Amino acid sequence: MKHRACLSLKRTVAILGAALALISNGLAQTGKPSEAAKTQDAVAPLSHDLSGVWMQYPQGDVPGTPGMNTVNQRSRPPLTPWGQARLDAARPMVGPKAIAGEENSPTLRCDPDGPPKILNHPNPFEIVQIPGRMFMFFEEQHVWRTIWADGRELPKEPDPSYLGYSVGKWEGDTFVVETIGLNDKVWADAYGDPRSEQTHLTERYRRLNHDTLELQVTIDDPKSYTKPWVSPPKLHKLESGWEIAEWFCVLNEDKAYDDAVRKPAGVAPSSSKKYWR
Amino acid sequence: MKEIKEVKDKTTRDGLRLDDSSVPLLPSLPLPRSLPLLWRKVLRMRFVRALAIWGTMLVLSPSVMAQTGKQLETDTPAASSALSHDLSGVWMQYPDGSTPGVPGMNAIDQRFRPPFTPWGQARFDAARPMQGPTAVPGQENAPTLHCDPDGPPRVLNLPNPFEIVQIPGRVFMFFELGHVWRTIWTDGRPLPKDPDPTWQGYSVGKWEGDTFVVETIGFNDKLWVDVYGSPRSDKMHLTERYRRLNHDTLEMQITMDDPKAYTKVWVNPPKLHKLEPTWEIAQWFCVIEEENAYSETIRKPAGGISTAPK
Repeated sequence: MKHRACLSLKRTVAILGAALALISNGLAQTGKPSEAAKTQDAVAPLSHDLSGVWMQYPQGDVPGTPGMNTVNQRSRPPLTPWGQARLDAARPMVGPKAIAGEENSPTLRCDPDGPPKILNHPNPFEIVQIPGRMFMFFEEQHVWRTIWADGRELPKEPDPSYLGYSVGKWEGDTFVVETIGLNDKVWADAYGDPRSEQTHLTERYRRLNHDTLELQVTIDDPKSYTKPWVSPPKLHKLESGWEIAEWFCVLNEDKAYDDAVRKPAGVAPSSSKKYWR
Repeated sequence: MKEIKEVKDKTTRDGLRLDDSSVPLLPSLPLPRSLPLLWRKVLRMRFVRALAIWGTMLVLSPSVMAQTGKQLETDTPAASSALSHDLSGVWMQYPDGSTPGVPGMNAIDQRFRPPFTPWGQARFDAARPMQGPTAVPGQENAPTLHCDPDGPPRVLNLPNPFEIVQIPGRVFMFFELGHVWRTIWTDGRPLPKDPDPTWQGYSVGKWEGDTFVVETIGFNDKLWVDVYGSPRSDKMHLTERYRRLNHDTLEMQITMDDPKAYTKVWVNPPKLHKLEPTWEIAQWFCVIEEENAYSETIRKPAGGISTAPK
């Protein structure tokens, strides 16, 4: 726990610090060689096996932010009026819209995270495949997700939920995941971009070689965006020695973290305070 | 009289899953249209669930419950070896319980609780559960009321379904409540020497004949072991024994060895679970806003849960 808390703390400090200080060059450079390692030597036996712990490469598109470009800011289409109102109301912790002390991200009060935002975070996830199903285990918030691969169709009118309802199938060497039934309580990314109940999310997973997974995310959300949001593919690295740790969001720990780290750093939301009974 | 109080105090977190078919039979809760659809739905569902459980408990006499239990317990153990190393599926505990008015929740059985240590007693005295003999309406302080993560053994005891998935080297357990998942390593690794305390602990499992034995250490002491406020310390060594008696029946036996909290090992009788082949584990997250709103609209009018900020 201490070890994990330390790690998560380090990560958060790293992200926040980097975002605040806007040190972009070092990170971009560190990322480059790995991205260059993208090779097309896909091996057939690998193509229908995505199992393993995957970690996104750290090169990002937002200066000072490591990774977090699976959902890519540069490809974001114009917002609808509804989407714009949502974005305007959002007070993210990172990015150009961040206002120190006014942050209102739902995850600050430990609301559950979900796709596509959780796919965008610089934390590892594990994929496990069994007949008819694929599981994704995210380290952040200890979230797990089922992707049905038994040929069933998307439900007609699913109840909106944090993770939505997902089905997947292989198209050649690409595993295509379709998700609907998402609620509008989670942002689509860390920058406050909205996610509405109309969202149809498509994720395309392709294993380029033993160690490399490509993930391409398309967000079709006509309530929030005037066009589908097509992000470029993002590469992930197989971390064969890693195990997904237990990293829960705990309200009183989050509040303590506010007081100990965020506040002194000048980025402290104490929004969780009012939820604390 | 305890039953009546428990009805009032009973809340969402430990609600029983019911078939949708039971819904029309029950009164629905008037909810403002301004609430989001899901929110209304969840509220209504939890309310209906709570109502159904506690209504049923009031109507059914303890003897009826005991009889139902008897019948289930005497289910024939027609174990076939083909089944014995496969625990896959969605399992739901039988509702027969040993606390009057409480459905199930006896995989950890109050009647078998050993005496506390002084540390354990102090923890227990500080706990303000939502039900049971030590419940004080308006003073509840269960960690799950502020959506702290749930974990074993408590999560094993709640009357909600869980799913078991087995892959080589690992067993997963998915709990509907809190959308919690857990890994049990079956690749032969030993328990770690000095694990960091966590909500789920660190679990390894192995087959002993037709019984799957799970050993867990490395718990933190932030959770209770049951809904009654019995403590869990970071010294706990938890043992779960799973045995599939027949295709549809899973037996689970829980032993808690926690010398910091209890003077003896807490050995529970086996609890039976039923295979629910058509169920899928739903998303039931604890969300603090919903939890607080639920306290405000349901628990407080029912005479429970102080909403005064602390």
